[in-house]
Amino acid sequence: MNTTGGDDMSAPVGDVDIQAWADRQLPPERRAAVEQALAHDPALAARAGDIERQNAWLRDGLEVLLAEPLPQRLIDAARMPARPRRSRRWVATAAVSAATLLVGFAGGWFVRDAQLELAGTPTTFAQQAAFTHALYAADVNRPVEIWAPEEKRLVAWLSKRLDYPLQAPDLNSAGYALVGGRLVAGNERPTALFMYENTAKERLTLQARKQSAGTDETAFRYSVEDGIGVYYWIDDQCAYALSGKLDRAQLLSIGRLVYAQLTAPRPAK
Amino acid sequence: MLNAVNGAFAPAAGARLAGSFTMSDDAPLPHPDLVAAIPRLRRYARVLTGDATRADDLVQETLARGWEKRRLWAAGTDLRAWLFTIMHNVFVNQRALAARDAQNVSLDGEGEAGAAWQVPVRAPQQAHVELLEVLRELARLPAEQREVLVLAAVEEMRYEEIAAVLSIPVGTVMSRLSRARAKLRRSASSESDAVAPLKIVR
Repeated sequence: MNTTGGDDMSAPVGDVDIQAWADRQLPPERRAAVEQALAHDPALAARAGDIERQNAWLRDGLEVLLAEPLPQRLIDAARMPARPRRSRRWVATAAVSAATLLVGFAGGWFVRDAQLELAGTPTTFAQQAAFTHALYAADVNRPVEIWAPEEKRLVAWLSKRLDYPLQAPDLNSAGYALVGGRLVAGNERPTALFMYENTAKERLTLQARKQSAGTDETAFRYSVEDGIGVYYWIDDQCAYALSGKLDRAQLLSIGRLVYAQLTAPRPAK
Repeated sequence: MLNAVNGAFAPAAGARLAGSFTMSDDAPLPHPDLVAAIPRLRRYARVLTGDATRADDLVQETLARGWEKRRLWAAGTDLRAWLFTIMHNVFVNQRALAARDAQNVSLDGEGEAGAAWQVPVRAPQQAHVELLEVLRELARLPAEQREVLVLAAVEEMRYEEIAAVLSIPVGTVMSRLSRARAKLRRSASSESDAVAPLKIVR
């Protein structure tokens, strides 16, 4: 580091070196000198250990803030502010109207979504699924709360929080391995999130949310939200959304895989 | 049963949604990346302000400034560092204004680490107990030291990045970091020392 007052290997090991070592930022050319000093000077080693522990204490303590639900006003603020001149809203409105007319038979559910969108509130299940996907798929350090090796604990925990028996589908045949899962705050009720990743580090999420009683409609729908494809459907008491930066056909084939597994009679384990 | 794999309206729905959310050339900031940055911005804002509502106000203001200045962001560079830089500047300006107002209104010398810090009331879950403890300790540091410490230890930013975000030399980053750590260590050890020496007596 330039601020140590000398990059050469023989410079005495100082406070800056110790901090850089504990922060994992020590330049490679200083490593040998610093590690030797740590091995021979218990006071230095204790200081380095203190910093490491302090870092971990700060990180662990503040971690919980990352899992707090995002306020709507901040999600709105992340969108491009509306331009006062020429609005494209009417185009969207016309498209919605046309789509609604064409597929009016698809039922009230879609119409309800369309109305919500016209009101300008990004609160549909698909939209929520897409930005929850964007949020956690981009998180390098902690995309999930419980990792795949503890799948059993993960599924049990999420099932308990949703009050619905969940399972994490096995998508290995599509090239996606389970990363883990977490609980996310939905608009109305908690949502379970399972994350998958392929060897190219591309991520998929499957989100599940329990529906209110009496919803027996099963519909398989597709939409694109900010470049993220979302397939979503309602099955019995649960709404599911499969999201990823995949094209429609890829997402559909994985969606079918998920659906088949979720509806298959469960093998006794 | 898949009774509505609906090819008829799906493309229209896709086009509609894409049309209302896709970025035009006028909008170089990638929305998903911005949303993904929010939790970290909130965490940092919380440490800066010590208060959940003011933290969210600060994040909102930061995002608004980000959109105003979007042409200054070089696509492909670190969006997070850019947003943290904006947040730092907004925070510093707000603090300067607040200090001026305080001078005009009263001689209250409570200072930044004092009255503004609120401890939220929450269910005493372990994670929240630890959070409150960390926030309380950080509140004892001057804002300048709090910033470098959290950026280095929690955000794990490189020292050069921190220097750029805060517009200070790397040497200043290191000295502030050192002072912040020493101060935290002292307050942590003064708590445990109250018990520890007694145990040494045999």
